[in-house]
Amino acid sequence: MSIEAINEQLLRAIGLGVALIDRTDFSFHFYDDTFEEWFGKPEDEAGLSGVFTELDLDELHAGLNKNGRYTAETRFKNKRRTMVIAVDFTPTMEGGREIAVLVCQNITRIRELESMIDSYSMMVERNNREIKREKEQVEKLLLNIMPRSVYEEFKTFGVVTPQLYDPVSVLMLDFVGFADMVASSDPSVTVTELNDIYSAFDRIGEQFGCERIKTIGDAYITVAGFPDPTPDHSKSAANAAIRFIRYLERRNMSHPNQWRCRIGLATGAVVGSVVGIQKYVYDIFGPAVNLASRLQEFSEPMQISVQHEMAQNLRDQFDMENLGTKHIRGFSEQQVWHLLDSTKIASRAG
Amino acid sequence: MSEQTLFEKYGGFSKVSKVVLAFYDTLLDSDDIGPFFDDIDMSRMVDHQTKFIASLLGDPASYTDNQSKQLHSHLDIENSHFDELKEVLSDTLESHGFGATDVEAVLQEFESRRQLIVG
Repeated sequence: MSIEAINEQLLRAIGLGVALIDRTDFSFHFYDDTFEEWFGKPEDEAGLSGVFTELDLDELHAGLNKNGRYTAETRFKNKRRTMVIAVDFTPTMEGGREIAVLVCQNITRIRELESMIDSYSMMVERNNREIKREKEQVEKLLLNIMPRSVYEEFKTFGVVTPQLYDPVSVLMLDFVGFADMVASSDPSVTVTELNDIYSAFDRIGEQFGCERIKTIGDAYITVAGFPDPTPDHSKSAANAAIRFIRYLERRNMSHPNQWRCRIGLATGAVVGSVVGIQKYVYDIFGPAVNLASRLQEFSEPMQISVQHEMAQNLRDQFDMENLGTKHIRGFSEQQVWHLLDSTKIASRAG
Repeated sequence: MSEQTLFEKYGGFSKVSKVVLAFYDTLLDSDDIGPFFDDIDMSRMVDHQTKFIASLLGDPASYTDNQSKQLHSHLDIENSHFDELKEVLSDTLESHGFGATDVEAVLQEFESRRQLIVG
């Protein structure tokens, strides 16, 4: 077998379409079977542009002169399938004539695969965005029931070790006659209003650095100096307590339902932890929590009762009234104070 | 733990991509269904088949019922076309090593969309 014959067989075997083009008039000198199979038999007078209607001959010419090569991509329909063929021209000389070798490669499958990868990656990206959004929602939910630092610990280790926070100030609030309100008026209205009020409390508390721990029915518990310690936690809690009452007073002026609360404030240590496995809640425990709850009982509606030690911290900035020594259930006898709203005292005096 | 989808069971995208291409080839060659795709751009067609197979295999869900309905509303698709496609789908899955019960499950998924596609 001659070298030429071997070459020809080789060319057939690799599935390329090959043609030789005259560079002066772009007529065909030669084309192989594969080329003919893809593009049909070229018509003599039409030459290259008869086969590749979209090919820019000037650009081809320039490309061959400048870069010594020209590549393009052409598409056509074979039955209803879009075929994509990469065409590659290389200039050469043959018997004193300038010709171009045209090599055509079927890249249909590559383009189809690319389309599929595009399609799939778009699906995956959209899914990822959805998953991310869901994750953020879950995170938001969890951050509503526990402080961020605790959440980070929970996320990393799957458990939360109980932590001691000392000292902090606990504010315990509950509503006077809430049970009657629920019984006498439409319960859903009452609960909706309660929700509004709690949301307002959350905003006020946030301004003064208080972290709401939980609500149990009509009881609202928030803590200052927690989870990050602050030196003025007692003042934060006192400020929040005064604003809670001011908020309710203003609200009561324009609403038929009158909401009146009692507040207890106590300073001390608390332990914070996630309780439960499936239905976990974040909660705090400790004497400060219990004491705040007991002190509440010394408040008349819209009054704030304060533990003695805490009152000592507040006296230089707040108006306090001493109720004298009281017996507190579960605690030793100690002095109890009322925290007064100084703006009201000023207006009463004036 | 969520249940494994067929998409995951049969090797994810690397395997499913082969199913999609085989399905695409058969569809184009078919003289019954092929004409529906005569004027469809290749990348759109591939996109469509990818989403179609992926959604039948349960991951990642891509076409809502409403979308499926809208995409086919302008075509005169008859029950015979739907049956033919079902056949193609069944053959393609079988030749790619899908178990009989899984093929059946996919075909049922497909069948449940008949009302959206035909007519």
